[in-house]
Amino acid sequence: MATHADDQRLELLQGTLDMLILRTLQWGPRHGHGIGQAIRTQSDDLLKVETGSLYPALHRLVKRGWLKADWGVSEANQRAKYYRLTAAGKAQLVREQDRWSRLVHAIGRIMNPAPGK
Amino acid sequence: MRPDESDLNEEIRGHLAIDIKERIDRGEDPVSARRAALMEFGYAPAVRDEMRRVWYSRWYDQTEALARDVRFALRSLTRAKALTVTMVVTLALGIGANTAIFSVVRSVLLRPLVNRDADRLIYIRQTARGIGTENLTFSVPEINDFKSRATTIAAFGDFSTVDFTVIGFGQKPRLVKAGVVNGSFFEVMGLRPVLGRLLHAADDGPAAAGAVVLTHRFWTTALHSDPSVIGQTIRLGPRPATVVGVLEPSVPYPEETQLIANVVTSPHHSLAMMKTARTHRMTELFGRLAPGATLEAARAELSSVHASIVREYPQAYSARAHVQLQISTLRDQLTAPAQTILLVLLTATAVVFVIACSNVANLILARSVRREGELAVRAALGAGRVALRRTLLAESLVMCTGGAILGLVLAQPLVTVASRYAARFSVRALDATVDASVLWLGAGLAVIAAVLLAFVPRLPSSDRTASVGLAGGSVRVTAGTNRRLRIFATIQIACSFVLLAGAGMLIATLTALQTANTGYDMRQVLAIDVPPSATAVVDATRSAFFPEATRRIGELPGVQGVAAGVVVPWRDRGSSVSAIGVRLAAEGYQPADGEERPTAQLRAVSAGFFKVMGVPILAGRDFTDEDRSDTDPVAIVSQSVAKRLFPNADAIDRRLHSTLGTAKPRRIIGVVADLDDQNIVQGPTLTVYEPIRGGLVGGLANRLFIRAAGDPSMLVPPVTRIIREISADQAVERPATLDDVRADVLTPERLNTFVFSALGGIALLIAVVGVAGVLAFSVGARMREFGVRLAVGSTPRDLRTEVLWDGVRIAAFGIAAGVAGGYAVVRIAAGVWGTVQLPGALSLIGAALVLIGAAAVASIMPAMRASRIDVLQAFRSD
Repeated sequence: MATHADDQRLELLQGTLDMLILRTLQWGPRHGHGIGQAIRTQSDDLLKVETGSLYPALHRLVKRGWLKADWGVSEANQRAKYYRLTAAGKAQLVREQDRWSRLVHAIGRIMNPAPGK
Repeated sequence: MRPDESDLNEEIRGHLAIDIKERIDRGEDPVSARRAALMEFGYAPAVRDEMRRVWYSRWYDQTEALARDVRFALRSLTRAKALTVTMVVTLALGIGANTAIFSVVRSVLLRPLVNRDADRLIYIRQTARGIGTENLTFSVPEINDFKSRATTIAAFGDFSTVDFTVIGFGQKPRLVKAGVVNGSFFEVMGLRPVLGRLLHAADDGPAAAGAVVLTHRFWTTALHSDPSVIGQTIRLGPRPATVVGVLEPSVPYPEETQLIANVVTSPHHSLAMMKTARTHRMTELFGRLAPGATLEAARAELSSVHASIVREYPQAYSARAHVQLQISTLRDQLTAPAQTILLVLLTATAVVFVIACSNVANLILARSVRREGELAVRAALGAGRVALRRTLLAESLVMCTGGAILGLVLAQPLVTVASRYAARFSVRALDATVDASVLWLGAGLAVIAAVLLAFVPRLPSSDRTASVGLAGGSVRVTAGTNRRLRIFATIQIACSFVLLAGAGMLIATLTALQTANTGYDMRQVLAIDVPPSATAVVDATRSAFFPEATRRIGELPGVQGVAAGVVVPWRDRGSSVSAIGVRLAAEGYQPADGEERPTAQLRAVSAGFFKVMGVPILAGRDFTDEDRSDTDPVAIVSQSVAKRLFPNADAIDRRLHSTLGTAKPRRIIGVVADLDDQNIVQGPTLTVYEPIRGGLVGGLANRLFIRAAGDPSMLVPPVTRIIREISADQAVERPATLDDVRADVLTPERLNTFVFSALGGIALLIAVVGVAGVLAFSVGARMREFGVRLAVGSTPRDLRTEVLWDGVRIAAFGIAAGVAGGYAVVRIAAGVWGTVQLPGALSLIGAALVLIGAAAVASIMPAMRASRIDVLQAFRSD
C-alpha cells in the first residue's frame, strides 16, 4: 500500500474541502468513496479526507443545491449514492477557484516578497 | 428530499462494501480487508449523526438519540425488575405525596376567590386578646358607628349566624345554620346568583318580607338542585320566608351555612338588646374599599374611628380585654390559619421527596458501578460525554416517568385524604382536586429528579478507561463511589430523623390528650341537641318542654337518668353560651388589692344533671324541681369556686352576688367536683351552676343528657319519638355519647399525627432500604478483602459485627446531621413564625433509637452475607 507516513500528510485548509469536492466532480458523477479516493490519489496521498468530514460535506453541498445525489449501483455491485454537479454547483466551482487563486497569490506575496519591490 | 435514517445507513454500508472490495482486489484477505475498512471509516454512528445534523436541527438530533437511548433503557430496566420496581415505587411515593399536598396548598392558598375584585374585599374584626378572644365580632351599635364615620369603605356587609328550624321543602323539620345579612352584603361580597336573585337594599327594614337565598352546596345536596324551590314559602322557626335565589358556589365564610336570610326573618334581630346593647356582639363585618382607597388607608381610618368609639363608650371596652381592630383582605383572613400547617406539610413532603431521590440515587449509583464497563466501552467507541450522560438521562427519565405516573395515581386518593384534613383549617380545601396543573408539577418533579439522578454516576474519564476491564465490564469500586453512597444514605437518615422527631412530638401530644383522664365515666352518657326554633326566643311552650321531656324519657326502659343543660362538654367549647361568665362576688370574700375578681363560667342545669354526668356532689345537695332562681335563688358551685372564695370555711348557705344584671344574691346549696367542659385535659375549673328555670342562661337550655344502662345508641329512636310527640316541629340533632364527642374533638390532633407518622413511616422505610442497599453494595465490593481476612484468621463473627457497626455508624452520622439540620430549620422557622414548638427529648431519643434499630435490621442481611463468604469463591470472583 502506497501511503505516506502520517507526518507527511497535510491537514486540509479550513473551507477548502467543498472546493475540492466540486472540483473532483467536474468530470462526472462519483460516489462518496470515489470522491475520497480521487482527492487522495490526485494529491499524491498528501491529502486524506476523513469520512467523518467528507460525508457531512457532501450532504451540505446537496442541501445548498450545488450537488445532486442519485442512487446507483457501484462496481462492487452495491447500491451507492452518486453525486454530480448542478448548474449552480458549476458556477460555485468557478467562484471558489477564482477566490482560491487570489488567496494563493496574496499569501504568496507575503511569504515570498518580490525582490526590489 | 431529506435523507432518512435508512438512507444514511445504506450510504455508509455502500462505502464500506466498495472499500472492502477494492482492498480485496488489491490482494488483501477478506477478514483483514474488512477490519481495515471499518478502522478507516471510524465510528459509524458518529459519522451518521454528522450527516443527519446537516439536514436536521441539533435538537432533533439530540431528541432522536434520546429516543434511541430511552428504548435501550426500557430494555435494560426490564432486565433488572426488582431494582426498577423499587426505584419506581420510591419515586412514586415522593412524587405522589408532593402533588397531593401541593393540590391542597394550591386550592387553599393560591386559587383566586370567585368574589368580584376580591382584593378590595376586606374583613374587619375586633380582637380582645386580654381575655383570649381572637374574634369578638361586632354589635349593631358598633357597626352603625363605622357606617356613619368611615369614608374609605364604599359599603359594609354584615353577617350573623343563627340556627333556624326550617319547615318546608316537603321535608321533616330540620335545624339549619343560617346567615342573617343586611341588604348590601352580597353586593359587598361581590357574589352572583346561579338562580333567581340575591338580597338587596329592598330586603332591609322591619317591613320587608322574609327572603331567603340558598347556598349552592345546600341546594345541590339537600334539595338535589331542584329549580322549582324558587318562589316557595318556607317557615324559619315562627316566621315565613320566600326562597328568592341560589347563590353561586363560593367560599362559605364566616361559617358554612345552608341559607342566607334577610334580617327580618330573625326574631332575635328585632330585640331591643340586639339594636341597642353595644356589648351584644354576634355580627361579622365585611367591607368593600371605596374607589381609590387602599387597604392601608382603610386600616388607618377604621382604626382611628375605632379608637374614638372606645373613648366614647369606655364601659363597653374593658381595659383588661384590650379590644383592638384588625383589618385584612378576606382572602388573607381565609388562608391565614391554614398557611402554617400547609407550609409545614409541604416542607415535610419535600423532605420525603429528597429522601426518595437520594435513595434512588444510591441505587442508580450502585448500578452504574456495575455498568462502568459498559460505559467505558461506549466511550472507547467514540461516544462523547454528552452521549454518555444522555444514556444515563434516558434511563433515569424512564424511571422517573414511571414514578410520576404511579405517583399521580397515588395522588388522587391522597388528595381526598389531605383535603379533608386541611378542611379543618380552611374551608377552601374541600374543593381541592387533581388537575392539569398538578400533573405539570408531577412531570416537573420527575424531570428534576431525572436530571439530578443522571448526574449522580461518574463517567469513565479518558485516563481511567484503560484500568477498567472492558470485556468483562468488571466492578472495581473506587473509594469515591463508596463515599457518595454513604453520603446519600446519611442524608436519608438525617431527613428521616427530622420527620420522625416531628411525628414523635405529635404522637406524644396526642397520647397525652387521649389518655388524659376526665375522671368521669361518660361512655354511657348520651348527649342530644334539642335546639329552640329560633335562637333565644323563649315562649311558654318551651319552658314546659324540658320538664315534660325529661319525665317521659326517664320512664323509658334502660334509662338511668335524664337531665337538661346548655353545654355539651367539649363539643360546645367556644360556643357563645359556654363563654358566658360571671365575676365572683360573695359575702365574706374580699379579693386582695389589685386582684381581679375571678370569673366563673355559668351553666344552667336541671335536677339530676350531676348524677347523669357522674360528677360527685361533695357537699350539700343537688337541685330539685322546686328550685327556682326567681323566688329563692340558689346555686351549686364547683370545688374550685368553693376553695377560692372560702378557703377555710364551708361554702354551703353562703350567698353569691351576681355581677351580671340585678339578680338577687344566690344561696349556695351544694359543692360539686370540677368538670372542665372546655378542655380535654381537665384542669381546675371555676363553674357556677344555676337551675334551668328562671336562671340567666336557663332559657338557652337546649341540650339533653341521658345516662343509659345498656347501649346508648339504642335510645336514640324512642327519645326522638317522645320529643316529636311533645313538639312536632322540634329538631333533634347530633345524638352522641360523650365518649364519642371526646374522640371527635381530638380528630384534628389525630389527623396531624396520622399524616406526619405516615410521612415519617415512608421516610423510614425508604431510609432502611437505602442503608441496606449501601451495605449490600459495599459487602459485594469487598468480597475479596473479606475472603483474604477469613483466610488469615478472622472469624465470620468479626466480619458480621463490622458490617453491622458500619450500618449503625451511618445511622449515627445521619442522626447527628439530622439534629444539626433540624436545629437550623427550627431557627429559620422561628424567624418566620415567631415561636416553633420543639420536640421533647423523648421524641428525639425515640426517633434516634428507631433509626439506629432500623439501620441495624437493615445491616443484618449484608452482614450475614459477609460472614458466609466462601474463601475460594471470593478469590475467583474478581
